Amino acid sequence: MIEGFRLGVFSRGTTLWDGLDFAFGDAAAWLVAGPPSSGKTLLLSILRGERRPDAGDVLVSGESLYRGNAAHARAWRASCGYVPEQTIVDARLTVEDLFRRSALAGGGVRERERKDRADRLLGMVGLPGALGWKIAELSISERARACLAAELLRGPKILFCDGVVAGAGIPCREMLWGLFRALAREGNTVVLAERTIPERWALAAGDAEPVGPFRVYRLPVPGAAVKGEPG
Amino acid sequence: MSERPSLWWIDWRLSHGPLVRETIGRFLFFFLLGAALLSLLLSGGVSRFLAERYAVTAVLRAEVPSAEAEGLARKVASLPAVRSAAYRDAEAAWKEFLRAYPDPDPLRGPGGNPMPGYIEIRIRPDRFTGEDIDPVVSALRSVPLVERVLAGEEWLPRLLRAGRIASWACWGIFGAFVAGFFLVARLQERARAVASAVDFAFLAERGVSTGRLAFFRAAAAAVSGFLLAAAGTAAGGGALFLSLRKFPFLERVIGPPSDLLLPRTVAGALLFSCGAALLSAAVSLIGWRAARSGRK
Repeated sequence: MIEGFRLGVFSRGTTLWDGLDFAFGDAAAWLVAGPPSSGKTLLLSILRGERRPDAGDVLVSGESLYRGNAAHARAWRASCGYVPEQTIVDARLTVEDLFRRSALAGGGVRERERKDRADRLLGMVGLPGALGWKIAELSISERARACLAAELLRGPKILFCDGVVAGAGIPCREMLWGLFRALAREGNTVVLAERTIPERWALAAGDAEPVGPFRVYRLPVPGAAVKGEPG
Repeated sequence: MSERPSLWWIDWRLSHGPLVRETIGRFLFFFLLGAALLSLLLSGGVSRFLAERYAVTAVLRAEVPSAEAEGLARKVASLPAVRSAAYRDAEAAWKEFLRAYPDPDPLRGPGGNPMPGYIEIRIRPDRFTGEDIDPVVSALRSVPLVERVLAGEEWLPRLLRAGRIASWACWGIFGAFVAGFFLVARLQERARAVASAVDFAFLAERGVSTGRLAFFRAAAAAVSGFLLAAAGTAAGGGALFLSLRKFPFLERVIGPPSDLLLPRTVAGALLFSCGAALLSAAVSLIGWRAARSGRK
C-alpha cells in the first residue's frame, strides 16, 4: 500500500498543490490523470522516494519513505520500476543497452537469460527483434514500449509509468490495457500518470476519485468485479 | 533477482569499449614506467655508474708478504660498504703500469720493479656515500701494512654531491611521469564518468546506493590499477632482464640482471603497484565527483 498524506509541492515560486491524500492499494492498476503542468511527474517522483515533498509524507507498508530508515527507502526504490517520459539522454544507447542497464539495477542476470527474456518482452510490446536498434532511431511510441519492456525485465513489484499510454499511441492501447491488468492480477502494483485516460479505459474503470488537480482511476483487474470491459 | 546488485566491475559493464582502450594504454605506460623504475632501483640513479668508476687504492709497504696482503684484502672485503677488495702484488702492478705507459724505462731503477703491491677496493653502489666511504678509508689508514691510501678525497665530495643531484633528477623525471599518469588517468576517468552519469542516475533512481557505487568503482579501479601496474612492471622487468643479458655493457650502469629478483627490488615493484592502485582509486573518486556534479 502506497499512501500519500497531505502532500504539498511548492514549485516555481508558487504552491503547485497542497494537502493531497492518495492511497494506492497493492495488486492493482491505477491511473492518475491530470492536465499539463499539474505535477504528475513530480507526484510520481515523490511516490518513488526520489523527491521529498515540501509538505506531507509518503508511507509504504506503513513506514515513511522520507522520515524513516534510508535503507527502507532504497529497498523501496529497488523494488520499483519507472518508465519516464522520453528524454534525449538515452538516445546514444541501443535497446539492448536499456536491458543491460535494467539487469544491472536488478542485481544482474546471465547474458543468455537476459537476451531470452528481452526478446520475449520486446515481442510482447510489439517490438520483436529490436534488441540491436538504436534508441535514437526509434519513434516516440517505440521508445516508450522499449523502456517499458526493459523495466519489466527486473520484474518490479511496483511499476510507475509517466505518459507511457499517450507515448505508445492509440494502436498500442489494447496491448497496454491487457499488460497492466495482467501485471496487477499477478500481484504487482501499477501507477500510471497520464494527461487523459482513454475513453474506453475510463468506462471500464468507472468513477474517478478527484484529488486536487488529478483524477485517480482504479483500472479493473481480470478476475475482480468490474463495471465494464473496453470492447 | 537479488535486491542488492553486484557493483564490482560496474564500469566494465557500462563502458566496456573505452575501458578496454584505457587498459591497453595504461598497461603500455606501466610497462615503460616499470622498466624505468627497476632500472632506477638497480642503478640507484647514477650511483652504480659512479661506483663502477671509483676505487680506493691502498698502497702497501714494499716489505709486506703476499699472504698478509691477501689476508688484509679479505678483511677489507668483509666491510659492509665494500663490494670487492682485490690484492695486486708488485709484479701485477708493474704489468698494469706497463700496459698504461709502454715506455717506462726512465722509471726502472737498478733494483728492477719500482712498483709496490696494492689493494683495490670497490664500493657497493648502494653504499656509495661519504658516510660509508670514510670509515673504509680511515680503517685502511690505521693499518701498519698500508703506506698510503688513495681515495680522491679532494674531489670525492663534489663527485658525491653531483651524483646525488643526478640521482634526484632521475627520480624527479620518474615522478613527473607518474604525475603525468595521474593527470591523464584523471581526465580519462572524468570523461568516462561523465559519459556514464546517466547510467549512474538510472541505478540511483532504482535504489542503488550512490555511496556503494562510488566505493565499488574505486575498489575495482584500485584492483585493476594494482594488477596492471604489477603486470606492466613484470613485463618491463622481463624486457630489462633480456636487455641486460643481450647488452652486458648496460650492467655497468644499471646492474646485473640477477639483481632484478632481489627482495628489495621485488618489494619496490610491489610498492609501486600499491601506489598505482591508490592513484587509480583516487582518480576514480575524482571522476565520480565530476559525474555527480555533471548530473546536477
